[in-house]
Amino acid sequence: MATKTVQFEIKRQANPDAPAVWERFELEWRPGMNVTTALMEIAANPVTADGRQTTPVTYESNCLEEVCGSCAMRINGKARMACSSLIDDLEQPIRLEPLSKFPLVRDLQVDRSVLFENLKAVKAWVPIDGTYDLGSGPRMLPQDQEESYPLSRCISCTCCMEVCPQFNEATGFVGAATIAQVKLFNNHPTGKVLKAERLQALSGDGGIQECGYAQNCVEACPKQLPLTNAISDVGRDVIVQKVRDLLRK
Amino acid sequence: MATAQSPIAPTVRRGVEPLRAGQGNSYLWHKLHSLLGIIPIGAFLLEHLISNYEALKGPAAYGAQVRFLNNLPLVRVLEWVFIFLPLLYHGIYGIYIWLRGKANVVYYPWAGNWMYTAQRYTGLLAFAYIIQHVIRQRFMGVDLPNHPAAAFWKVQHELSNPWMLAVYVVAMIVVCWHFAYGIWLFAAKWGITPGERSRKRFGYVCVAFGVLLAAMGLASIWAFVGGKYPNAPENPPLTVSRMAAPAAIDGPSFAVVVRGAGTASI
Repeated sequence: MATKTVQFEIKRQANPDAPAVWERFELEWRPGMNVTTALMEIAANPVTADGRQTTPVTYESNCLEEVCGSCAMRINGKARMACSSLIDDLEQPIRLEPLSKFPLVRDLQVDRSVLFENLKAVKAWVPIDGTYDLGSGPRMLPQDQEESYPLSRCISCTCCMEVCPQFNEATGFVGAATIAQVKLFNNHPTGKVLKAERLQALSGDGGIQECGYAQNCVEACPKQLPLTNAISDVGRDVIVQKVRDLLRK
Repeated sequence: MATAQSPIAPTVRRGVEPLRAGQGNSYLWHKLHSLLGIIPIGAFLLEHLISNYEALKGPAAYGAQVRFLNNLPLVRVLEWVFIFLPLLYHGIYGIYIWLRGKANVVYYPWAGNWMYTAQRYTGLLAFAYIIQHVIRQRFMGVDLPNHPAAAFWKVQHELSNPWMLAVYVVAMIVVCWHFAYGIWLFAAKWGITPGERSRKRFGYVCVAFGVLLAAMGLASIWAFVGGKYPNAPENPPLTVSRMAAPAAIDGPSFAVVVRGAGTASI
């Protein structure tokens, strides 16, 4: 019985200090399968291609429809979302590796909390807490909504940071995702109350100045965020803020 | 025990450090590097290539241009403050930026990523070339500030070595490349071209500008080696009067020494 199969090579690492090993898996092909469904099948029957029993591959996933951002990994060397990577579009054997720029937890799972720390550092939120009801916020013009909506689609997958040559331990660069969120919240009629603080934060070490404009972020972004436009706009805003601070303080 | 650590907890903290919000001075140093590339370094490059273009008119015109530049008020101060020091800073800090980047064009061979990598290599080549160019043409051999009329001879002598000629041709293209893409990067990063289409259009402008500059530069190189002004004199006789226009001084004196009609029009 000749069944069509799919070959996988998966980089395994039991814990951050353990040596990395490659394991091969072979699955029966099914129509429409993607990398996440393949990993689910391996979890259900964790046997390598040479018939050896192994542990299920650790990986992150949740929504299975490219909106939660949790399943980013390197697939055939490139950072992308496992759930939207269709097997039929990939060259085999399909090589799965964890993202390379984040502390490894286990197998394909990494600790991406640096993005959360960065979003906190630039106050990427709309402050509405208070002791009384503030009522409804100011009206947002449709053209501003058009500008902001694409930026609000960010799923915090960190693909833009993984592919960025400047995002590394030497620079401690903040990455495109955070800069795009600064633009989003600075353009929000209530959120812009923190505009100066966000821009000042982005001029710190590891800030927007570390961007080398290689534009990998915008190529890799699975949600097509206009990241380079955001870096350009926020770059100008930071300059204006710094000059203003220099002259007024 | 509250202090007991889980055996699987990593012992070393790894990964990229989060943003140091508002801390440090690296923003200033980066922006200074970026700005100096345009002004004064880029502006000087433009001046230099325009001045070099005078070589097409012959040794006398070229010498006159060198004399004009060296007669500028406070010229030694201008030279250090607006050329040498900015160049040194831009070059050294540029290498520092390069060393901290982690090129990945092998994995992500996209156009912007190629240009990111090329900007680093062209920068290094340009810096190495400029260092030898300044040392050999400004600080070694005939002292051009005091003998501007020997300028054509000095360059021609340098370019008579085919290896040196090759270095100059390559360096001319590399420098213009670095400058043209540098302008594009400056506009993108300083928020002058924040739109997809504006960046694309400005890209065409920068390509055209870079090609024009390189063509001008190569034409000037041709003026020295093309054979129109062979064997330019090292020591053309100089008239001393500084009141008259420089071209008027050098023109007739060159005409005596230089064979051919190259200076006849001056």
